Amino acid sequence: MLIWETNMSSTAEVWQGTLALMVLKTLNAMGPQHGYGIARRIEQTSENLLSINHGTLYPVLLKLEQEGSIASQWGVSENNRRAKFYRITKSGEKHLASELKQWSQATEIVARFVALKGSKA
Amino acid sequence: MKRTLRRVWNRLLGSLRLRNSDVDLADEIDAHIQLMADDDIRRGVPPAEALRRARIQFGGVDSAKEFYRDQRGFPSLDSLAQDIRYSLRGIRKNPGFAAVAILSLAIGIGANTAIFSVVNAVLLQPLPFPNQDRIFAVREVLPRFTSSIPVNPLHAHEWAKHCPSLEQVALIRNARYQLNSGGEPESIIGGQVPHNLFSLYGVKPILGRTFLPEEEQPGKNRVVVLSETLWRSHFRADPGLVGRTIQLNEQNFQVVGIIPAWFRLPFSAGIVEQAVTVRMRIFSPLVFGQGELSRLMGNFNYNAAARLKPGATAEQALAEINVVQARFPQQAGSSTELKATLIPIHELIAGRARLGLWMLAGSVGAVLLIVCINLANLLLSRIASRRQEAAIRTALGASRGRQFRLVLMESLLLSFTGGVLGVLLARWLLQLLVASTTLDLPRLEEVRLDPYVLAFSFCLTVLTGFLCGALPAWRLTHTNPQESLHSGSRTATEGHGGVRLRQALIGLEVGLSAALLILAGLLTTSLTRLLEVDKGFDMHRVLTVDLRLAGNLYAQEVNRQRLFDRILAKVNAMPGVHSAGIITALPTQGETWLDPIYLEGNTRPEGRHTVNNRFVSPGYFRAMNIPIRAGQAFEDRDRDRRVAVLSQKAAKRLWPDVPNPVGRRFIAEDNKPVVLIGIAADVRATLQDEAPPTVYYPYWQRVPGSAYLVVRTAANANAAAALRAALRSEDAQLPLPPIRTMEEVVERSVSERRFQMTLIVGFAVAALLVAILGIYGVVSYSVTRRRNEIGIRMALGAQRSQLLALVMRQGMAPVVLGLAAGIGVAYFLAQAIRGLLFDIQPADPTTISLVAAILLAVGILACLIPAHRAATTDAISALRID
Repeated sequence: MLIWETNMSSTAEVWQGTLALMVLKTLNAMGPQHGYGIARRIEQTSENLLSINHGTLYPVLLKLEQEGSIASQWGVSENNRRAKFYRITKSGEKHLASELKQWSQATEIVARFVALKGSKA
Repeated sequence: MKRTLRRVWNRLLGSLRLRNSDVDLADEIDAHIQLMADDDIRRGVPPAEALRRARIQFGGVDSAKEFYRDQRGFPSLDSLAQDIRYSLRGIRKNPGFAAVAILSLAIGIGANTAIFSVVNAVLLQPLPFPNQDRIFAVREVLPRFTSSIPVNPLHAHEWAKHCPSLEQVALIRNARYQLNSGGEPESIIGGQVPHNLFSLYGVKPILGRTFLPEEEQPGKNRVVVLSETLWRSHFRADPGLVGRTIQLNEQNFQVVGIIPAWFRLPFSAGIVEQAVTVRMRIFSPLVFGQGELSRLMGNFNYNAAARLKPGATAEQALAEINVVQARFPQQAGSSTELKATLIPIHELIAGRARLGLWMLAGSVGAVLLIVCINLANLLLSRIASRRQEAAIRTALGASRGRQFRLVLMESLLLSFTGGVLGVLLARWLLQLLVASTTLDLPRLEEVRLDPYVLAFSFCLTVLTGFLCGALPAWRLTHTNPQESLHSGSRTATEGHGGVRLRQALIGLEVGLSAALLILAGLLTTSLTRLLEVDKGFDMHRVLTVDLRLAGNLYAQEVNRQRLFDRILAKVNAMPGVHSAGIITALPTQGETWLDPIYLEGNTRPEGRHTVNNRFVSPGYFRAMNIPIRAGQAFEDRDRDRRVAVLSQKAAKRLWPDVPNPVGRRFIAEDNKPVVLIGIAADVRATLQDEAPPTVYYPYWQRVPGSAYLVVRTAANANAAAALRAALRSEDAQLPLPPIRTMEEVVERSVSERRFQMTLIVGFAVAALLVAILGIYGVVSYSVTRRRNEIGIRMALGAQRSQLLALVMRQGMAPVVLGLAAGIGVAYFLAQAIRGLLFDIQPADPTTISLVAAILLAVGILACLIPAHRAATTDAISALRID
């Protein structure tokens, strides 16, 4: 189980970046969602391998909104609760595409190292 | 990159609280937890338990909020905003202090900005000429004159031939052109110039061309180049004007070109090195009169400009010119020494204003410094009462930097508000200044609030804020909080450090004020003495107007003489006119028309005396009340004989040993003998210099093309209008500039001095007022702070007079020390501005003792009020206060 750190250390930055990617991808796939919806969806997608501290989601949402990747609007949830809904913007989609490309390149490279067979292995 | 910028922008907005309020976030988090709980409730968990689980799952609400807040804005900016809000609160709580501070800073910064705009435009901004560092005015130097004089055209032609360092030399003859373009005929200042003048200055016409070499021959010279200014004001910027013919002096001239408006020539009106700031607006080719180019020495009537070859130095060029100059006196049979001087073009135009302007800039800077010191002092006092608060803050963990910043922020807020108001004030002051018609300051029309000036004001504002705030901030943050917490209670007298610091600041203020007051006193006395100097004539109730006769009619001497005769007869007959006369150059406008006089049979060079030549009408001496010391003035019956009147000094030169030489003969400017019929009192050519030797000839002997009419009237307000009507009736086409009084003419000649004096007196008075406030503030504050100590002293038996003396002694000590230092500083400053003083020594004891007396008196007064309060303190209530 992973605990998401909320300080500004460099490892957290990586995870924050990853979390931002997950948020963008989720919004891209599911359409407008409120904060809780996003958190739940991320947990479901990871098949509960990831348990996120929901509070850490909000700074990420704020950052994405400040960057213009997502936009927010108050609305009403499926069970009639007032909630803020986030949706991905045009610029967010572009950003997501380039991030995903980078991410798959990075995982590919890492995967090659993982597959490396040494003489001792 | 774009995304990062966007984020920074949004965070800035976040810092300014324009977006995403805290309430919004709280609502969102609430909704989140509710939604989470709803899911559990649906699965059958009891609501209270569901909510609990949801909260756990969400994690720390407050830490999430805090992290969110840090992300939303810039935390450092937020604390800055907090500091500003804190300072604003402090200012609001104490509006009196803030008003005084902002107002004094606004005046200080405004005055500095205004003066700097003038310094910037007049002294710092380069002239628009390309390669202006290679362009020089050349003037000749004769030992008889205190300043250099204009040049002889033959001499100038020889320099151009024999000096390898000179690329070009051009002569300029000042000229007036009568322009008839409908309405009143106008007399416009211009110049007769050679074809190479424009290329020498590097100016290209915006339309048409400049002159050709062959246009410098008589008959081919009916062409003109106009300035863009005139082209716009009188010809509606008509591009078809080039090639057309216009009427100047009732003659046809073909316009061949238009030169840009920025082009200006230094226009030296007289022999003095004073370049008047008039821009020439009409140029025609320079054609020399007969014999002009064969006459050595004398005829020093031209302005000359030289352009050095690239790489040549001014010293080289001057040495070469002086070699050529050395030959002329010998060839002319004179033994005087002839030299030349090169004046950088910027120096010629703006040089005479330099000393005065730097003095003003220094003074106004001193005023601002005094204002800053005073504010620092006031802030120090306020800080002292905030020491306890600061100590508590420090004890609670506020950093020293944050505390420092807090105090600095307050003074910066004050200085910025003051700065903005100050720039507005400067704008208004400059409008007044540029609109002033009486001030004769070079390049005045170029004065404006340009980006340089605004940058200067900004830096000045920041500097002011730091100057005011740094010392108090340092005091506040470098005290032991524990000690402050003890001594902050009002029962203890403040430590020595704080008192000493404030006293030192007061000493500095008093010293600066003393120096300013002394300079102001010296300049005021100078101007008063200058105006009261025996000018040799009586300027009261005299009107004067410039008569310029141009056109075909007046090309003939006889017609000019007839007009002058008619005008004089008519004006003399006007009711209320005591007497009227004409003269070729008014006193106070400098030495002009220099030619030698000598005794018949004289062969020795030293027997030739260069004097000012004036052509006058018989009534001139009466109109100006110039006493005739011997013999008599001209009469109409002298028309058929050659006569002259000499000034006393000129007569002494010719006949040093003869008590009354009236009736003797000498050789006049035209190398022919005249009879001396009278000796007139000496008249000054400029107010500040001794009267030069002068010879007066009757105007019919050589009828001038222009002259000043002077009219002595019985005090009559309508005299000017009547005079104008009388002149118009004689010649409706005569250009008539405004009729002035002789007092105005004299006043104009001292306008720059008056400007300097008025400003520096203003600055000195402002400095004095601020210093008084400073002394009062500090003494009064220390009395309040020491109430308890005073109470104890009284209880122990101190007499009221002793308490009074105690406070006075402590209050006056820095005043006396500062005064002594200020007198010392003023001594050196006065040496530096010696050139601006007239008839007064830099260490004038009267001025210094007067200033000392004033400062001591106001110092005592400022201390007396708080000292009296201390002496009348009621011991019981003083001790009971805590």
